[in-house]
Amino acid sequence: MIVFFQSLLSGVLIGGVYALIGIGLTIIFGVMRIINFAHGDIMMIGMYLAYNLFTLAGVDPFLSIVIIVPVMFLFGALLQKLFINRILNALPQNQILLTIGLGLIMSNTMMLIFTSDYKILSTTYSSSSVNLFGISISEPLAISFAITAAITAALYWFFLKTDTGQAIRATAQDREAAQLMGINVKRMSIIACGVGAALAGTAGALISPTYYIFPQIGSAFTLKAFVITVLGGMGSVLGATLGGVVIGIAESMGAVYISSGWKDVVVFILFLLILLFKPSGLMGKSRT
Amino acid sequence: MTTDAIAKNDYMKFVTPALTCVILAGLFLFPRFVDNPYALHLMILLFMSTIMGQSWNIVGGYAGQYSVGHAAYFGAGAYTTMVLMQQWHIPPWYGVLGGMAVALVVALVIGSICFRLRGPYFVLASIAVAEILRLSAMNLKDFTNGAEGILATDIPPLTVGGQVVTDFLSKVPFYYMGLLLVILTVVVTYGVQHSKLGYCLQAIREDQDAAHSLGINLTLYKNVALTISALLTSLAGSLYAVYIGFIDPPTVLGLDISVQIVLICIIGGIGTLYGPVVGSLVLVPLSEALRSNLISEAIFSTGIVTESSAVGTFLKENLAHAHALIYGVLVVIVILFMPDGVLGFLRKLMAKRGNGGRVGAPSVCQAKETSGGAA
Repeated sequence: MIVFFQSLLSGVLIGGVYALIGIGLTIIFGVMRIINFAHGDIMMIGMYLAYNLFTLAGVDPFLSIVIIVPVMFLFGALLQKLFINRILNALPQNQILLTIGLGLIMSNTMMLIFTSDYKILSTTYSSSSVNLFGISISEPLAISFAITAAITAALYWFFLKTDTGQAIRATAQDREAAQLMGINVKRMSIIACGVGAALAGTAGALISPTYYIFPQIGSAFTLKAFVITVLGGMGSVLGATLGGVVIGIAESMGAVYISSGWKDVVVFILFLLILLFKPSGLMGKSRT
Repeated sequence: MTTDAIAKNDYMKFVTPALTCVILAGLFLFPRFVDNPYALHLMILLFMSTIMGQSWNIVGGYAGQYSVGHAAYFGAGAYTTMVLMQQWHIPPWYGVLGGMAVALVVALVIGSICFRLRGPYFVLASIAVAEILRLSAMNLKDFTNGAEGILATDIPPLTVGGQVVTDFLSKVPFYYMGLLLVILTVVVTYGVQHSKLGYCLQAIREDQDAAHSLGINLTLYKNVALTISALLTSLAGSLYAVYIGFIDPPTVLGLDISVQIVLICIIGGIGTLYGPVVGSLVLVPLSEALRSNLISEAIFSTGIVTESSAVGTFLKENLAHAHALIYGVLVVIVILFMPDGVLGFLRKLMAKRGNGGRVGAPSVCQAKETSGGAA
């Protein structure tokens, strides 16, 4: 039983970070109807930023998000302005391919700069854990979960209470109607892309103390982000939060009860089942 | 149509087959005159790339079903052939058939699952299935050796009725096999394009619902296209495995392979007979030049950066690893500026030239139509 709770808890903790990645993807999809295949690579850039801030300037990876959030926001906004903006009305296939291309450029540029070596960011607390009722909790995962929860709460506040947040939601609901209401949809798209990239970058920084850092890590997380967003329902922020936690739990249960090699297979099979039987996702928004 | 255009049409009717014969003869005689192993290697890579692109084209280009999971069939061919050869000592020419059988099964499973989905959902599902196969190859260590991969120790010679046809000691037999497979895929694609199947597929690509309401059985035709495509892709996979002599999950089942297969078509031009050929002619030499450090040597020869400087050694060490960078840059350029691929771009350019001073309404209209409202 203790094993069950142990894996449940670590699943929830890692699921929080997954949720962050998924929310970023779902916001970009919601506002621009574009599936961002470069999302994992954006997260990878966040990891490298955190790694270099730590090794070169000694900034703690959890503190470094203060720098990473604005930098990645600008990066995402720039991506939108330079590339994504030009293909908003193109065929969906071409949109997908463009973001795949951007992802390839990102991962290979990082490989040129930092080589393909695996890097480890080891802090003093990297391998320490806290004991709670006999369940041990990895300290970096616990801290990152707390930060994730705070960021998610801030995001909900942003989307529900601020004018910009409401304008973004309106754009996501109906682009033309939003434009008729006097919302600057182009600006909202840029902001949405910036927020999405900032969230992915933050997730990268948060997991940098617990994962190996290498240029090709992105594609695995891109796939995971899709699974999460499809699970929760494309375009739904609440769904992505839920989806992230579900995937985290499925993974850690799969690793414990099946084997760590097959845990990703469990996730993909879950994904296919969702696509087949409830394509609108758990939160049940309409498919188009 | 003016008399001028008719004359040009007749001329083309005569020239195209003649040109095809000349090119084919040249390709068949190529190994007789060139025995540089690197040149042969490049040609074999070009052939493999063309086979992969052409077979994707059938389901992606004509039927409009953008599978980004074609590594599944490539890997099915590669792994079946290698496992049969290394574990059960079955010669690769029977192994190829085994690979096709496995690819057929995989295609039917993927088709029955993924063709219920459309657009981006289909793309995602195709990726997921290919990933499941990659992870399975990684974990079924008894069969596939897991992450270590399979190394071919030696290939038995091909004998027909006691006569040794070839012993596979040089690259020449692989060259001819590749060439024959290219001809096979081109002929199959041509056949598909000019048959009822091809017209139905194109109808599905243009408007699925309209095609359905005209009585076209969507599931049947999509699955037939996928099956043909999968069988041909598995041939490319088997050829790759036996030629290179080593496979592991990331090199034959990875997402990179799927993306690369799509790029060959995107860059050349989707849904055209020559698109994959053009795409391969662009992609293979470029990525080989990066891989073999030709690019960094070219930079050194300009004298901007010397080989001994810090930047020089950095370039020399790292540029070879980043040959995939060129894929990324190319696909972004092609999508943004030439949505019909290099071939479509050249055609449009020629059409403008051909019209001379009077930029006729037809070419402008066509340009607008084919760019799919990308502006």
